[in-house]
Amino acid sequence: MGEASVVVQICWTALSTAIPMILFAVAFSLVLKVVKIWNFAQAGFMAVAFYAMYATYNLLQWPMWLAVLIGLALTLIASLTLEPFGLDVLRRRKSPHLTYFILTLVMSLFLAAFLSMLFGTEPVPLTPEIMSPVKIVGSIVMSHWDLRAIAVGVVLLLLLHQFIIRTRDGQYMLAVADNAELAELYGISAKRTRIVTFFAASIFITAGMWLAGTRGAINAHMPLQMLIFAVVATLLGGTGGIFTSALAAAILSLIQALSVLVIPSQWQGFVLYVFLFVTILFFPKGFNVRNLKLAAILGKSARVMRAGQG
Amino acid sequence: MMKCTRLSRILMLSALVVGTALSASFAWSQAKAPLRFGVAMPLTGSQASYGLDFVEGTRWAVADINAKGGVDGHPLEMVVLDTVGDPQAGISAANKLIHVEKVPVILTAWSGVVKAIAPLANREKMLTLSVGASSPEVAKLGDYVYTVTPLADVDVKAIASYSFEKLGKKRGAVLYLNNESGVGGARTFRSAFEKAGGQIVAYEAYDANASDYSGAVLKIRAANPDVIHVQGLIVDMPQVIGQLRQMGMNQLITSYIGGYYPKMVQQLGPAIEPYMAPNVAPGPQDNPNIPGFIERWQKTKGRVSNALPYTQYMYDSGLLVAELFKWVLKNNLPVTGENMRKALLAIKKFDFPMTGSMEISEDHEVKKPVYLLVVKDGKFVPLATVK
Repeated sequence: MGEASVVVQICWTALSTAIPMILFAVAFSLVLKVVKIWNFAQAGFMAVAFYAMYATYNLLQWPMWLAVLIGLALTLIASLTLEPFGLDVLRRRKSPHLTYFILTLVMSLFLAAFLSMLFGTEPVPLTPEIMSPVKIVGSIVMSHWDLRAIAVGVVLLLLLHQFIIRTRDGQYMLAVADNAELAELYGISAKRTRIVTFFAASIFITAGMWLAGTRGAINAHMPLQMLIFAVVATLLGGTGGIFTSALAAAILSLIQALSVLVIPSQWQGFVLYVFLFVTILFFPKGFNVRNLKLAAILGKSARVMRAGQG
Repeated sequence: MMKCTRLSRILMLSALVVGTALSASFAWSQAKAPLRFGVAMPLTGSQASYGLDFVEGTRWAVADINAKGGVDGHPLEMVVLDTVGDPQAGISAANKLIHVEKVPVILTAWSGVVKAIAPLANREKMLTLSVGASSPEVAKLGDYVYTVTPLADVDVKAIASYSFEKLGKKRGAVLYLNNESGVGGARTFRSAFEKAGGQIVAYEAYDANASDYSGAVLKIRAANPDVIHVQGLIVDMPQVIGQLRQMGMNQLITSYIGGYYPKMVQQLGPAIEPYMAPNVAPGPQDNPNIPGFIERWQKTKGRVSNALPYTQYMYDSGLLVAELFKWVLKNNLPVTGENMRKALLAIKKFDFPMTGSMEISEDHEVKKPVYLLVVKDGKFVPLATVK
């Protein structure tokens, strides 16, 4: 296997493995954009999605498609309880942002503890076997799981894009994201729009957990760790950028995977946190083309100034 | 007259009540005080599937001992606390066991936890018995820390040298989890394999939170090893080995005692083969007590333990603690960590039903035969015994 094919293999596997994380990042940034909260309860919802599917498929022995639907339904119910019983209450009280963060985090921890009590703490996969057959295309190994993940990711992202630009509800989401009060004045129900947003996010969460659970074992506490990646991608993509978050998640996965070619593998885990640190400090509004241009201009100006002083 | 009779009846009744109470109190104070020891294991978290089974093994030993009258009439009692498999939580648990529960000895596991507890155990003179932590550094953690299971030095060394000497594998690769459990075992395999005459052609780590190992796997593939040693934990090893196989690596994969995990065989199916893992506890064919122990698991839990070899050691560790208490009481010494340690060094040689004989050595290690098993048709079967 030549060097080029090693790089292509790493890129392929990194991208396909990143699909669940991309889906989680999209769900997270969608809620952030429209509902305007950093929804750390998403980790709890991810755990609900997983265990709902796990219980339906493994314990009730029902078909997988039904397990996914039940997973989606329960995730949506969990998401929707947050709005009237949590977020709405805080909005009416005009609570500070920190309170929203605490509420959502506590909800995640509560759900994780509750699900651990019900299902135990041992990580379990969604299906008894996690190995999927492989195809060799060129010299690149592609597993059936890889192909499934890429297909699910692409289809869902396309559907979301079309939903936002072509449907009324999608347009309402953009309006509420822009200015909820003004949208209300125009007769758009912000409450209904938030429900639609949570519904869309639940689809992405359920799909992501289905993919993650068919590839490896999960327990109730692992989604919180997975969510950190989604948060980093959201920050990198710019808060408010749904598809840029997805792109950021993909690029971050690629960089993390490819980094092993230049740094010792023991340091790979640090790459994510280095990106988080740099982003928060230097690109708090996200890393985009304008930042790159600005950085280039600043760099050029600094060089000119130094040359002038010399 | 009637008043006098009523008064005397009241007095008699009162005397009867007081007398009964005093007798009961006297009888109760004569029942021997329980002998308490601590068990600090992951009861929650990703390692709980092992931790809970560990505790169950010791619980059976305590029940069996108490059914026979305890230790010289004293019932044995365990105080179980959760470490989550995390060093920080381990320190909290140890603090509580020392200062609140005031136990003289604890059983614990997981290399990171044992290392974290060690300074506290040494300072407070609480005897700490490690059951299953594999890092070779566990033997160097101070006067009050002993392992009752062989360290990675033993099982990993055995598998490394067997792979080279008997199976003819000349080029080895190591893929390890970048934490306390992985680093120590990986170093041991590398050193033992090279000492035996082999060459380590790749030595790669992966992060505990990773879900994609393709970079490290491809580096290993490029090195073209004959054998790949994986040193991880039960939560990540199935995915790591799965990815190795999917990338077309059909070489022998070996692991340490933690890789003796029947559920992983189920998750990976036939793709796991060829796979070899060591066991430092005797199997049913090596020890006549094991079939009954396995049957007890089936009857009690409806399954065989997730970590059968470790639970054998945990059962025997309950018996070990009882022996130590017995020695201390026999010598009319106060039950303290210091005296429990004296007992351990004085008795030195033990013979246990589930794991055979054990000798405490000066270097704080135990030497045991290593039973090598391979996966065939979805089950672990014995391959060889390395003494």
